[in-house]
Amino acid sequence: MALIELKNIHKNFIMGEENIHALNAINLTINEGEFTSIVGTSGSGKSTLMNIIGLLDLPSLGTYDLDGINTTSMSDDDLSKYRNQKIGFVFQSFNLLPKASALKNVEMPMQYASAYNNKLTDEMIRKMALDTLEKVGLGSRIHHLPNELSGGQRQRVAIARALVNNPKILLADEPTGALDSKTSEEILQLFHDLNSQGVTVIIVTHDNNIAKRCRRILRMNDGVIKDEDNSGATR
Amino acid sequence: MIFRKILVNSAEAIVENKLRSALTMLGMIIGVMAVILLVSVGTGAKRYITSEFESLGTNVILIQPGKTDKKNSMGPPVASSKGKLTMADVEALQKNSQSLSAVSGVMFGAGVVKNESSTNNLNILGANDQFNRIFNMTIIEGNFFSREDEEAGRRVAVLGYTIKENLFGSGNALGKLVKVNESEHRVIGVIKPTGDKLGFNIDDMVFIPTKSSLRLFNTDRLFGIRATAKSRSGLDDAVKELTEVLKERHNGEEDFTIVTQVTMMESMNTILNMLTYALGAIAFISMLVGGIGIMNIMLVSVTERTREIGIRRAVGARRSDILKQFMIEAVVISVSGGLLGIFISLLITYTLYFFIPGFDMRPPFWIIPPSFFLSFFTGVIFGVWPARKAAHIQTIDALRYE
Repeated sequence: MALIELKNIHKNFIMGEENIHALNAINLTINEGEFTSIVGTSGSGKSTLMNIIGLLDLPSLGTYDLDGINTTSMSDDDLSKYRNQKIGFVFQSFNLLPKASALKNVEMPMQYASAYNNKLTDEMIRKMALDTLEKVGLGSRIHHLPNELSGGQRQRVAIARALVNNPKILLADEPTGALDSKTSEEILQLFHDLNSQGVTVIIVTHDNNIAKRCRRILRMNDGVIKDEDNSGATR
Repeated sequence: MIFRKILVNSAEAIVENKLRSALTMLGMIIGVMAVILLVSVGTGAKRYITSEFESLGTNVILIQPGKTDKKNSMGPPVASSKGKLTMADVEALQKNSQSLSAVSGVMFGAGVVKNESSTNNLNILGANDQFNRIFNMTIIEGNFFSREDEEAGRRVAVLGYTIKENLFGSGNALGKLVKVNESEHRVIGVIKPTGDKLGFNIDDMVFIPTKSSLRLFNTDRLFGIRATAKSRSGLDDAVKELTEVLKERHNGEEDFTIVTQVTMMESMNTILNMLTYALGAIAFISMLVGGIGIMNIMLVSVTERTREIGIRRAVGARRSDILKQFMIEAVVISVSGGLLGIFISLLITYTLYFFIPGFDMRPPFWIIPPSFFLSFFTGVIFGVWPARKAAHIQTIDALRYE
């Protein structure tokens, strides 16, 4: 079943006097349970595409159906709700709140989720956060601040934060960009495990070696998908 | 539910930036303290002046020759070209007025009082035997004038305490002779010291009977008449009655001015209220400065936390959630500053009052709710703009912000 359906997506920026076509007529369908990577050099439009898929940005033209619902005409509040309920983000620079503990960082999305679900109690939120931290292998470091954790541990906190509200999609933007190769391997393994549990994973990267670890590889250049490769590794 | 969580977020942000929050709060603390303390000074001054005024004697009525149409003028005119009050007017009031408990003609002028040891240039006050009752004067040695002293115009004198000290030191003054403008008077009493009361000091005066004073100043024209009503509620009736009696004697013409303590108090209160409001307005400015301080810091805080805003938006915070978070932060800072300001001003004024009971600058209770709400609304007003700015930051820009 199509989870993400992009039809004729364009994105234009105006930089100074120049009009930049960051995305040019993108058509893309990603089904539930897929493990996809989007590869490209910087400026290829892969980050713009990720922002649009993640509902952080709106296309200039075209339609985007997420889980069967057209998102292009949604209000800002609805977009926030969808980000909260359907999408989990993992960033290259982790983007954790520096003054909040691992547990607090993971609880944060649930605070906003409580706006849509009155039954969520503080105890339930705490339990969900603890369970998710356990799942990513950080059950013992929940009260540490981000700067007291290693890079790999920080990314695990970020992944836990992305997963805590049981999203359909895990969107990762250069998730191993700031990590050494051994830690990168562990994080990629974690993504595989999550994918095998049913989470749709999309990794945006410039690194072909990372991309090869995904089942489906989309190569981008100059705002279009040049090439699709379904021969990637199964693990 | 979500509101409570945002409240917790805001509180945590304040605690995480202790120094900055405290310094921002300081602006509010000082603003609220300025409001409370300056209003306290205003009302304290009013309380002090009112009590001084009342200790001069209650229900006092002042009658001066000459007429001014101006209502609520501060004091009586001191001299008049038209109209004349005489001893006969005083006697008529004493005889015919039911609502007055005491009436005295007064004569007032500079003079010299001396004996072998000391010469004093001072104010001589001519008054009759009822005068001490009008102004609540207490005699500590001897007696005030008797009715006979007044009617016969005897050369007797009652001394203010400072004058008695100057002339006789700590010795006995009663029965001694003093020269009042070269005319010998016998001392029959000394008045209890009262100190300066609104620029009027009985301690520096010498009293002689009205009749003697008219002779001394060689006139039949009184400086004025002083009377006191039997009760405060009877004051208006007393003024009416007194006006009728005097008008009848003055061929139906109202050629005198009556000032009561009530009208004097009213005009005094007008001035003192103005003073309080003016002080309040000055304090309001410091409140404004405190508010601008909050806005300034909140703007800095929004910029500093751009990335945090981006993260929160990415995981599902709505614009309104971000707006609330920063609004609450501003209001919590300003309200805690306000409460601390109220607490510190109460501490200062009550401590001062405890150690110096004469220095009563305790704030009136009515000022506390408005100062609280003022700090609340300052937080709201000056928090809106930074919070709106925070809410409208673009999420993708915020996530990239370094």
